[in-house]
Amino acid sequence: MDIREKGKLGLTGLLIGAAAVILTVLGNPGNMGFCIACFLRDTAGAMHLHTAPIVEYVRPEIIGIILGSFAISVATGDFRPRGGSSPVLRFIIGFIVMVGALVFLGCPLRMVLRLAGGDLNALVGLLGFIAGIGVGCIFLSNGFTLGKAEKQSAIEGAALPGATILLFVLFLAVPSLLLFSESGPGSMHAPVAAALLAGLLAGVAAERTRLCMAGGIRDIFLIRDFTLISGFAAIFLAALIGNLITGSFRLGFADQPVSHPMHIWNFLGMTAVGLGSVMLGGCPLRQLILAGEGSSDSASAVLGMIVGSAFAHNFSLASSANAGPGTNGKVAVVAGIIILVAIAAVVTIKERRKA
Amino acid sequence: MDPEDIKVATFHSHYGAIMFRKRAGVDAELRPVPRTLSSSCGTAVFFTSPFNPAIADENTEAVYMRDGDCWREIWRK
Repeated sequence: MDIREKGKLGLTGLLIGAAAVILTVLGNPGNMGFCIACFLRDTAGAMHLHTAPIVEYVRPEIIGIILGSFAISVATGDFRPRGGSSPVLRFIIGFIVMVGALVFLGCPLRMVLRLAGGDLNALVGLLGFIAGIGVGCIFLSNGFTLGKAEKQSAIEGAALPGATILLFVLFLAVPSLLLFSESGPGSMHAPVAAALLAGLLAGVAAERTRLCMAGGIRDIFLIRDFTLISGFAAIFLAALIGNLITGSFRLGFADQPVSHPMHIWNFLGMTAVGLGSVMLGGCPLRQLILAGEGSSDSASAVLGMIVGSAFAHNFSLASSANAGPGTNGKVAVVAGIIILVAIAAVVTIKERRKA
Repeated sequence: MDPEDIKVATFHSHYGAIMFRKRAGVDAELRPVPRTLSSSCGTAVFFTSPFNPAIADENTEAVYMRDGDCWREIWRK
């Protein structure tokens, strides 16, 4: 069973890694075939939630991932609407995860893609991500939980996928309602059909295999299990080979695409993402997949990430490529980590008293 | 573990799994929840000793027993 699951995860990883390289060749920004944080941020910009002119675009990859997960979970019986597990805390944690990701300039999935492109700043981010997951595992082992999810109505479970469909219809039918970047990363994108197809495939495959960037490292810490990490490794391998073939591999810290070399902030940004992801029960990609399966808790986390991305640009928390974060971003990341640790500590102490 | 005797318990939290394993005997192991049981990626406890409902608590979700190639539910909170 373990070998079969590892095999499926490996194939899923190869698919996503290869799709990411193809999307980059077709027009997405460098090492950004997929980036859940960046693409939610771009989508937030398109919806006028922030006004950073270079990061506004409705990313069909996001729509595809949510709808791919929704469709396959309905087809296979995995669509089980549930919720009520600390939705407001999940919103706040999702918000902080997004701020951390935008200080690093990428979600855990893009971190792997950046590594596969030779961007060594992502290696610093990976160390921070592992550190954050390690701290989260200490809390999990001592009682941390956001509480039990209860059964919800079908309409509650389908609300976020439904909103996603509505957004896609508006994007196709009334694009004048939305904002689109004319320069910068938001203006760089693969054709809509290719991006949507890649998202759908990634959503279906990730739902079937439970692919999760944070879960792989968490399971190594907690139960010495290497199943989930095989997906992470396969994405790296496929993207590395793809980048070598397309000539996009460039090893180093300087002048990497949509990246900055400020090590401490790459580390701390991903520490916030790692810790927050463990508290949420999965990385940003996994939150999209779970939201597609009908989890309104994960939908709360996704909404928190969207609002977090809007705040990150409205209040100058996000890093600039090459220059890194400004003062606001640095303060926000440190404050975010403190808030995450405070939430985890309070909840853990309360759970231990109950036990 | 003897495959015929294997049972698996699923939980609402990782801590619930840790506490259950302590009560389930020496042959109990923490492992990922089998994909066939759940689309969640939580922690399960695999064990072979007879299941006593008294070792379950509010964090325990369900217990399954191996039945050929499938899992058969034998207890649910």
